[in-house]
Amino acid sequence: MYIIVVGGGRLGYSLTKALLSEGHETLLIDKNAEVCEKINKELGSICLRGDACETAIQAEAGTGRADLLIATTGEDEDNLVACQVAKYRFNVPRTIARVRVPRNEQIFKQLGVDVTVNSTNIILERIEHEVPSHPLTHLFCLTGDNREMEILEIRAASGSAAIDKSLNDLQLPNKAVLGLVIRNGEKPFVPRGDTVFKPGDQVIAVAPTDAEEELRKLFSGK
Amino acid sequence: MNKFHTILVPVAGRPEDEDALEMACQLARLSGDVKVIVTNIISIDRSLPLDAEVESEIAKSEAILARFENLAKKFGYPIETNLLQARLVAPAIVDEAVEQKADAIVIGSAYKTRFGEFSLGDVVPYILQHAPCRVILNHRPASL
Repeated sequence: MYIIVVGGGRLGYSLTKALLSEGHETLLIDKNAEVCEKINKELGSICLRGDACETAIQAEAGTGRADLLIATTGEDEDNLVACQVAKYRFNVPRTIARVRVPRNEQIFKQLGVDVTVNSTNIILERIEHEVPSHPLTHLFCLTGDNREMEILEIRAASGSAAIDKSLNDLQLPNKAVLGLVIRNGEKPFVPRGDTVFKPGDQVIAVAPTDAEEELRKLFSGK
Repeated sequence: MNKFHTILVPVAGRPEDEDALEMACQLARLSGDVKVIVTNIISIDRSLPLDAEVESEIAKSEAILARFENLAKKFGYPIETNLLQARLVAPAIVDEAVEQKADAIVIGSAYKTRFGEFSLGDVVPYILQHAPCRVILNHRPASL
């Protein structure tokens, strides 16, 4: 695969290194001459100096034959433009952008960026996951045709509607599936129709994004 | 000075490269039992995969190497020739020197100006800075 990484910061550099070690043909584009020189010295001639928002630089980078472009700079605007140039000028099949400001994520999706990675949300969710009283954590968002689905971790609180009820008796939201239960740090198991939920159970669910509130109410009682 | 075992001569087909080859052959004859490798590098545009076969460039490169092989015969020393494809010429020369375990790179340069100032270009300074071995720069005066 020919992969172009935009931005030679910590993220772009580490990503490039990982992609190279996986055997992909990888090119990194960065505006800063010093950064390019350092990377070229360490990883070989794989860094192109220039602004990836410019069509001429992307043409020089051979974006027309790239399978994937990943924009990792710290500037949302640059990431959006780099992805759009790649997508609409060079027909790159897949673009991935780092998004720093959460409210920009929707704009990126509307403007055709295939995948967005919101670093702020990822950190927030990791922290939320470590807060013992937090009832619901987003683990993963399923993209593509199943863009509206996500994988959630829910903690069953005592006194909630789901406690002491079997899976068959629960009124789950439409299209929601409970896939795994982790109880008291024991071996995880797949819940069956007769599985009765206990306080403290960690439940892994796959559900449409709009079903999140219903699941939260069911398991946390709030 | 230590004895040379392998001398790398990067060429692009210019007159200064012929001078460099002549010098490399003289050095090899003096030392005896030295492998002289003449390398021509085809720079591949990023719009193509690195292993793309650009027939016109390959033909040009092979013609250059054949000419230098004949020249080496004239200078009285047998050489090996090598054709490489790379994105950038200068790093490729340094990599080849590492690969071939070269003791020296003999490279030709000609009098050039850039913005009215004398310039060695991009390749020579890079090799001088990054080569793992001796670099012998054979400069062709402007008067020749």
